Amino acid sequence: MPADELGRKIIFVLLGLAIATAVFILVARWGKMRKEERPPVVQEVPGETRTITVYYGSRDAANLVEETREITSSGRLEDEVGEAVNALLEKPQDDALVSAIPPGTRIERVYWVEDEETLYLDFNRALTANHPGGSVSEYFTIKVILKTVSANFPQVAMVQLLVSGYPVETIAGHYGVSEPLDVRKWR
Amino acid sequence: MSFYSRNMPGFVFSALFMVLLAAPGLELMAQDKDEPEAVLGVVFSEGRRTVDVDLSRADDKSSEFYITAYDLARIFKATKYWKPGARKLVLRIGSKDYLFTIDTRVVVVNGEPVLMRVPARYVDGAVMIPLEFVGGVLSRESAERIELDGDNLVLTIGTPEYNVTGLRFEKVNGRTSAVLTLTDELLYHVDTDTPGLLRLKIYGGRLNTLKMSAVDGKGLFRRVRAEQTEYDAYLFFQVEQSASGFRVEFTDPEEGDHEQNLVIYLEKGELPEIPDADFAGRKMVEIFEPGSMAERGFEIEKIMIDPGHGGTDGGRVSSSGVQEKDINLDIARELKGMLVERLGVEVLMTREDDQFLTLTERGEIANIEEADIFISIHCNGWFHPEAGGFETYFLAPARTEEERRQAREENSAVELEDAEMDPEKLEELDFIIWDMVQNEFIAESSELAETVQKELAEVLTIRNRGVKQAGFKVLRGINMPAILIEVAFLSNRSEEKLLQDQSFQSSVCAGIVEAVRKFSSGKIAADAGAPGTGY
Repeated sequence: MPADELGRKIIFVLLGLAIATAVFILVARWGKMRKEERPPVVQEVPGETRTITVYYGSRDAANLVEETREITSSGRLEDEVGEAVNALLEKPQDDALVSAIPPGTRIERVYWVEDEETLYLDFNRALTANHPGGSVSEYFTIKVILKTVSANFPQVAMVQLLVSGYPVETIAGHYGVSEPLDVRKWR
Repeated sequence: MSFYSRNMPGFVFSALFMVLLAAPGLELMAQDKDEPEAVLGVVFSEGRRTVDVDLSRADDKSSEFYITAYDLARIFKATKYWKPGARKLVLRIGSKDYLFTIDTRVVVVNGEPVLMRVPARYVDGAVMIPLEFVGGVLSRESAERIELDGDNLVLTIGTPEYNVTGLRFEKVNGRTSAVLTLTDELLYHVDTDTPGLLRLKIYGGRLNTLKMSAVDGKGLFRRVRAEQTEYDAYLFFQVEQSASGFRVEFTDPEEGDHEQNLVIYLEKGELPEIPDADFAGRKMVEIFEPGSMAERGFEIEKIMIDPGHGGTDGGRVSSSGVQEKDINLDIARELKGMLVERLGVEVLMTREDDQFLTLTERGEIANIEEADIFISIHCNGWFHPEAGGFETYFLAPARTEEERRQAREENSAVELEDAEMDPEKLEELDFIIWDMVQNEFIAESSELAETVQKELAEVLTIRNRGVKQAGFKVLRGINMPAILIEVAFLSNRSEEKLLQDQSFQSSVCAGIVEAVRKFSSGKIAADAGAPGTGY
């Protein structure tokens, strides 16, 4: 290997190291500045939030277990219910728990008929199509929805489950859900 | 959380940065020095899980504890509204608003100012509320019962809705009786499988286990222990070996008394002659309530088996493609053969092949055939592969006694109206009648379910999940004792294998057949006037 080529290589390596060090210091300084500029952790956000209780199943399908969530307190029942039901679809915080709503389920619409104290929850087809089946899982699917409604929205007396806009006879073949369900029976 | 620890001076950061280059893991250790100063245990009586909440003090000398507004909102499900500029926080708990102003001792409750011992604070981005607010102001204002034990730092919220409220022992004419006070006429089941132990299960019962277990036994009752599960309440009475018979019944409530008394009478005496081999070795004979078992007693001659799902409704499909409807049919077919062979009864099936039936059709077929019992066979499923075991269901009453009474009154009004009946009302009426049909058989259905579960426990090694009550549509409107058996979980790998295993299926069938035999012979014994009744 010729000597001048070796010299060039050494220069390249040194240059590279110098650039890397400069970048590192810059990033570190910037990071430090950001850390110092960061305001204290704010737990209370401006505007109204409310704490709600949502329900999940234990891994062995023996117990119903609750967790709490923060939702925007808009004062509009439909929106708050929508947020609450969405929380049910997500993974619980506790690893020992599972969501009792079939994967892929979405809440499409929420209607509130105040005169009848009845809440209509319209889900996509995944609620029935992706349901794992079995009495226990069907029981928990209905129970977590109704219990979440009754625990957080006391003005609701009945809940009608809909799939793609229509009532269905059953979700997984054991419980009848074609009629509105009384939340008191599912507390 | 300590009040003065978050804002580390810049030089600490620089030093930390140097350390970071050498050992990245140290950052966590260095920052994590916020130890809670105390922990508040929060107990919810309505079944929510007990939670621990960190508390802090204003300074080392103060004895006042603080709780963050965040935790407070979480515990009481409060809506909170924070005005950063005005340094004000509103917590809406129940129907009341509590307005706190940072660094002042006044909390305004629905417009009324109340003074606290120490002010609310704002520290490290969190609003800190004095704990005394919870035990004092909030406890007085809240509709819920709130009790703060300041010494042990335990907060209890809510009054549990017990429906099994009391237990006492009475001795009348040489008989010892245990009197349970219930707020409702709940369904119960008694068994005496263990000599010297009387087990009373109260469906849907809720009780204070500490209070019930603290009662000393009297006379023939030696000791009592209470247990509470998610669905039901249990009382275990240890009785003297000389107790020979018992009877359980609801007594008529006294005038103006809203509570129900469930009384267990015990009688002393020699062991009665017990003809049936099944009862051999037992120290007691169960004497059925008049009006239910004994009066209706009959021998089982015709059984309707309902293989769950079918046709387009496959039921649960396992990860490897096994369909629940097929397993149900396999088990049902074998059960049919075994029942015919061992008990000589007539057995019918709601479906003999892969056919779709609605939930109501299944019951209708059983009613038309006038079967004596209805057994629906299913496989369970869950969202996690861990769940497993077998369980037996019977129908939960669709309405409480009070609701049924109201419904009956409403119905009679409907019936009295002229022919111009509103079709909607007609439908409603129909629905209520169907409800009542299975209600009539609930005591027997529970007996059958308990017997099946017990016999399955003898032959199966998977988890015994117990007898449950549920509002199944398939069991509604059935004019006979009816149960639904969830044999095992298709969502559980090892149970999925078992469900396809011939010997497992045979064990399940053998258990059910044995249960039907015992249920049937129990009926015959009751019908013939069980020996040793004495009452």
